[in-house]
Amino acid sequence: MKNLSLFKIFILLFISNFFESLLAPFFIILNIIVPVTFLFFSFIAYNSRTNFNAITSFVLGIYVDLISDSFFGLNAILFSLSSFVINSYSNTFKLFSYLQICIFFGITSTFYIGFLNLFINVQNFSYPVLFVSFIFNTFLCLILSMSKFYIPNLSLNKRV
Amino acid sequence: MARVAPTTGSKILYLLCLIIGSLLLYIDINYKSFEGVKNNYKSALITSSYLAKSLTIDPFVYIYELSKLKSTLIDENKKLRRELDESYLSNFIISRETKFFSDSSSIEKLLDFYNLDKVFHLSEIKYFDTEKYFCCDQHRLFIQSVTPSKKNFTGSPVFNSSGIVGQVIYDTGIKEVMLLSDSTHSLPVFSDDYFCNASGTGSPGLISCSYSSLIWPKPIFEGQKFFSSGMGGIYPRNVYVGAAKNIKKIDDVNIKFDIVLATNPLKENNLAILENQ
Repeated sequence: MKNLSLFKIFILLFISNFFESLLAPFFIILNIIVPVTFLFFSFIAYNSRTNFNAITSFVLGIYVDLISDSFFGLNAILFSLSSFVINSYSNTFKLFSYLQICIFFGITSTFYIGFLNLFINVQNFSYPVLFVSFIFNTFLCLILSMSKFYIPNLSLNKRV
Repeated sequence: MARVAPTTGSKILYLLCLIIGSLLLYIDINYKSFEGVKNNYKSALITSSYLAKSLTIDPFVYIYELSKLKSTLIDENKKLRRELDESYLSNFIISRETKFFSDSSSIEKLLDFYNLDKVFHLSEIKYFDTEKYFCCDQHRLFIQSVTPSKKNFTGSPVFNSSGIVGQVIYDTGIKEVMLLSDSTHSLPVFSDDYFCNASGTGSPGLISCSYSSLIWPKPIFEGQKFFSSGMGGIYPRNVYVGAAKNIKKIDDVNIKFDIVLATNPLKENNLAILENQ
């Protein structure tokens, strides 16, 4: 995937955050949290040709903190951690199957939800929500990764 | 092209970012130092969406209304509707028959205290993050006065036609209202001779109280009505808050229960800000 400019990433994160806020009230009824913004950032970091800089991840996290009205530093920490893990395993991912990569993103998104809930929703912290979200997010990643085979026009990464 | 695994230098940079992030998080949670930035962003977002709407959608709506030659009627209809809303809210405050006040002396006291003519300011909801309302602890909504006022309403209670909704916590033109169900909110309530500071649960429409049966031997029953005690100095006394539910024994002496709020912030667009003084 061609590297996106920072400006485009800012706009795309804003849009994904907007969609997240639209979808969240419906998903929460089913005990599901879909961190669209975080998954989108992870996808960009994963698909980027070069490593994501620590400062870039941090700044993007601060930006998401601002637009999502969460505590400053919360998303910055998680985005930095996420980009570090993705950068560290960027070459190892090539040995993984799509299923394994989807499970990896499911786990990271669950960790993200859990960590976020510890700060912004501690009174209603729920393990069932985490578990259901893990399964749903893994399947969501799997469906998105499979969609490129069934709908080739949607494929963003022609190289894989 | 293969990507290079993070070097020692970039690992140190990541560590530095994590430390700075943790520091920012600590400062924000404990001192709320970034509230100003967040409020300015929200104000800018609301204003820009309002401007964008008034520049893009509203002209078409206006042309459509004009083409139907009903603009005068529509304006009059809007004006009447606004007056009707004001009248509803006014009646809520002044009515002696209303269910929300437990006795007539309290309303007389309230009317004297608030000086009826300037008792409330009609406001409209400008932004309500329903995502956070349903999922998280932070329950806030943003309102704007219908008639512009230079007064600062920080700390003023906010009502809708069903009762207390919350309290203004920031007033920078657009007012931020902390709802009763916000986990950081506390509302002094009473029922008969029982008093407690009901705190928000973070769940929509619920606040909770706990008490020791050694101090309050009389048991609380499901459906028992609770009223604001006015002890915090913010909310007027004797306003109906809600009914008790989910009474649970924490241990042998301590009992916790929820109060289902009588008000639903999603139901109405118009709210009233009561003046503090």
